[in-house]
Amino acid sequence: MGERVTITIDGKEYQVPAGITLTRAAEMVGIDIPIFCDHPRLEPVGACRQCLVEIETPRGTRLTTACTTPVSDGLVVHYNSPRAKAAREATLEFILAHHPLDCPICDKGGECPLQDQAMKHGPAESHFIEEKTHKNKRHPLSDLIMLDQERCVVCWRCIRYLEEWEFKPQLGLYHRGGETVIDTHPNRPLAAKTSGNIIDICPVGALTNRVARFQYRPWSWGPPSRTLEPVPTVCVHCSLGCNLQVDVRTHRVRRIKARENSAVNDMWICDKGRFAQGFFHSEERIRQPLVRENGELRPATWDEALQRVVDGLYRWAQENPEAVGAMGSPKVGNEANYLLQKFFRLMVDTNNIDHRWGGDVLADPRGLSAVEAIHQADVIVLVGVDLAEEMPVFANFYKRAVRRNNAQAFVIHPRRTEDADFGTYIPVLPGSEALLLNALMALMVDQEPFAAQTRRLPGGRDFVTWVKEHRPEDISALVGVSQETLEALARTLAEAQRPLVLYGPDVVRGFQAEANRAALDNLELLLGKDRVAYIAPDANSVGARDMGVLPHRLPGHQDVTDAEVRERFRRYWGSEVPEEAGLTYQGMLEAAADGRLKALFVMGADPADEGPWAEEALKALDVLVVQDVFMTRTALLADVVLPASTYAESDATFTNVERRVQRAPRAFRPERDSRPDWAILVDLAKRWPIREAGESKRKGRKGKRARRSPQARWNYTRPQDVLREIARVVPQYEGLTWDALGEGGRQWPTDRVARPRRFVQVTPRFQAADPEYPYYLVAERFLFDHTKMTRTTEELHHVLEPAVVRMHPEDIYDLGIQEGSTVEVVSRHASVALPVQADERVQRGTVAIAYSLPGSPAEALMGPEGPGVMVAVRTTGPAPRVVNILD
Amino acid sequence: MAIKELVEGGVAITQAMGVTFKHLLQKPITVQSPDWEPIAVYPRFRGRHELRRYENGLERCIGCQLCEASCPTGAIYVEAAENDPENPVSPGERYAKVYEINLLRCIFCGACQDACPTEAIVLGHNYTLANYDRRDFLLTKEELLNPPEPNVIIRAEE
Ligand code: SF4
Ligand code: SF4
Ligand code: SF4
Ligand code: SF4
Ligand code: FES
Repeated sequence: MGERVTITIDGKEYQVPAGITLTRAAEMVGIDIPIFCDHPRLEPVGACRQCLVEIETPRGTRLTTACTTPVSDGLVVHYNSPRAKAAREATLEFILAHHPLDCPICDKGGECPLQDQAMKHGPAESHFIEEKTHKNKRHPLSDLIMLDQERCVVCWRCIRYLEEWEFKPQLGLYHRGGETVIDTHPNRPLAAKTSGNIIDICPVGALTNRVARFQYRPWSWGPPSRTLEPVPTVCVHCSLGCNLQVDVRTHRVRRIKARENSAVNDMWICDKGRFAQGFFHSEERIRQPLVRENGELRPATWDEALQRVVDGLYRWAQENPEAVGAMGSPKVGNEANYLLQKFFRLMVDTNNIDHRWGGDVLADPRGLSAVEAIHQADVIVLVGVDLAEEMPVFANFYKRAVRRNNAQAFVIHPRRTEDADFGTYIPVLPGSEALLLNALMALMVDQEPFAAQTRRLPGGRDFVTWVKEHRPEDISALVGVSQETLEALARTLAEAQRPLVLYGPDVVRGFQAEANRAALDNLELLLGKDRVAYIAPDANSVGARDMGVLPHRLPGHQDVTDAEVRERFRRYWGSEVPEEAGLTYQGMLEAAADGRLKALFVMGADPADEGPWAEEALKALDVLVVQDVFMTRTALLADVVLPASTYAESDATFTNVERRVQRAPRAFRPERDSRPDWAILVDLAKRWPIREAGESKRKGRKGKRARRSPQARWNYTRPQDVLREIARVVPQYEGLTWDALGEGGRQWPTDRVARPRRFVQVTPRFQAADPEYPYYLVAERFLFDHTKMTRTTEELHHVLEPAVVRMHPEDIYDLGIQEGSTVEVVSRHASVALPVQADERVQRGTVAIAYSLPGSPAEALMGPEGPGVMVAVRTTGPAPRVVNILD
Repeated sequence: MAIKELVEGGVAITQAMGVTFKHLLQKPITVQSPDWEPIAVYPRFRGRHELRRYENGLERCIGCQLCEASCPTGAIYVEAAENDPENPVSPGERYAKVYEINLLRCIFCGACQDACPTEAIVLGHNYTLANYDRRDFLLTKEELLNPPEPNVIIRAEE
């Protein structure tokens, strides 16, 4: 606790922290000064005059705005004096003079500060009988936000939010006096990625959510009607895990708004979390179980479908458990992921379990030490992560760290991202991050305090000799970054007190993953514990790993090849755990292609999206089961499709990027015939044929006997039962219960998993230029991608990333083509045709394509290789196989 | 003693029979409703609901759900939607896309008409509410709208 000062309000003395404003201080001591423009997260402006109080000055008392008055020792305030009260009443009367008071049709009514203030502090009657001014009541600021200019009280909160948190001044004031209106600037659309937050903070109903408009009444969750149910849950679109309130009425999601959690999202959420609500009740959701008959999928009963799954899997489990695999999902909660790996390890007897599609193949399990770390950092280095698109709320924290806390930022990314506008941009070619980091460390190891670290830690001496072979001057020629920049970065890091390096999923996958990961681990050893953090892409990337949906790790990051660990799990689960590490996600697809894998169970993943090669591999399978919410490309190939519920239809927990386990309670009953993931898995386990006691699970394996049938341990009636077991089995989750998680969630400490302890040397491969494929492919992640989660909300269609290939304007010029003309991008694995768009943020010599475009062109081009693939761009010529663009 | 009782009894019987004879000569007050003659009800009688329109034919209801909230029995269900500015259903931006009243729940308390900011929902004078099917007690918006067709003046604006 910092310094405290004594202030007097209405004759009573209070101790409050120094340096805050009078409105905040009053709030702390329980005095409710009415405010409109003041907001705890915005700079004070004193625009509305609603907070007038009298303060004593040497020249007598004077009326002043509490929100712009900092507390100081001995400050004497008269809040309830007749003069102050009269002044506040008059202000409110003025505000209401032109306010339409159309509360019955206003979406804010019921949670409207103006209503509340008017009831509490306003005069009962107005002096005004004149006609109110009329302005535009239906003024769309964007497809997502509607402005009612009559209701606006010109508090500037919306303007200030965009300026102070987004650093995008996209709204302004126009006209004067009573005519003042808020509007976007000409030709500057309101396009901030977190623009929806201005709806939450608008103190009146001037700004409303166009997706949720008129579908809910905020007051109706209280007595007497109680028809709207506000469910405190979390967002599942990125790994930050923003806290949400989902309002539900008649079993339909009506509105999503931010829920405050100062440790995670503060009080903000991004526009995807807020507006993408179409998927919950989308017509495109799978309505009932489907089974394949004579080559066609046809509707079936749950009974029939589940039996088909069990029969198919059991047949192969008997024959050869290694021929069976399962894919979990980082978008599904902990409980279902836990049950998935338990089912396949115990019932089927295989370790072919993974969830790592598209990313984080070699990522560190710890993630970010805490979201707070970004607020405290003085140097921030982003490696291959585009916060503004991947984690917009966190991106705002990053921007504030730079602009408000004077943190220095360096952005190492194949594309000049929006984040790069806030720091020094260091271009890097995809797949050459390790080269660059090693060159950087070659400069660092000579400086203190890093030199001391290399002397202290094991492997340090050899590492210094080795890393110095990566001479910065050579690297600069290869990856196109100047030596001065690297030197500046090394120097800044040496001086930094609290540096923070964040890396994204594409850095740790593909052919360079190992070298990149090693370089980042070494960097952490130099910088200190938890100073290098992995930013996972999906809402439960961390949780899926904690749950052991990995081929080589049991729940709690425990090594499956360790006999002691297996023995412990045998005692928990009452059955043997298979010994050898299984196949990875990619490995399963490859095994399917060459016939080693025969049966695959896919929960919430879409491996067919990896491209034509993966699709071919899946077609070769004997049994393919897909459990999903939508008909994915994989589901179209499946033998059995099980309709799963979305996360909002069953209780679940998600673990975010800072290892915070958070609750996502059931908000409405499962849509149509769908069922929650965990319940489907329990059903499958219950149907699994019971082995006779004493019969070995595996044919021909002697002496290893299941002591009792594993079904005995599947007595879960609620997801909370699964969570209870997780808390017993996963050391990191020890003692967690549904109730203990509360509404703010709980973090598990980083020291409960192994972290790098010695320097390692992994020499990066450099992809030599190939005259046939001269360009590097840069695959980008966008917030408004083309997945069903976003596309099912019509209002978002305008902001979806266009399906284009982006190139540097000069590269386009050199090709002798026009922007907008269609080019063919060819790699060793596929070829796609897309219109070309000029973008100066794309480096020369690279072409950028977004992930998750319809037909997944980027994934197809990458094939099994991952990031760093080389491509050619053809303007004419014969067309090789063009990826089928699905819609 | 006996004589006094006899006289008193005689008086009482005569009085009682007087009432009987008086009514015997009056017209019967039983009304053959609803088939032959209607009953006059008081102006504030609360019968079956009606949703009213403005004179220009627009619906008065703005879908604010205040009636729903005020209803003590949960008999009302309203689903609002945004008016097409070119072709509005009601004045302003909001109208009731769905409006249903479950007469089996309604206790005719009138709270809904008190809550309504536009005097859209009113309890009318229709009290002939018998039905053969439970489902017919669920009144839809079309059944409630009075007049059913726009541009018919039923109650002039004051
Ligand atoms: S902003 Fe508040 S006071 Fe104004 S109409 Fe809406 S609910 Fe009523
Ligand atoms: S629109 Fe809302 S937040 Fe913006 S100035 Fe008006 S009242 Fe304030
Ligand atoms: S009259 Fe009373 S019980 Fe009937 S619908 Fe109206 S408020 Fe509900
Ligand atoms: S009838 Fe009246 S109270 Fe009910 S929704 Fe319509 S306008 Fe609102
Ligand atoms: S709250 Fe102080 S002037 Fe607006």
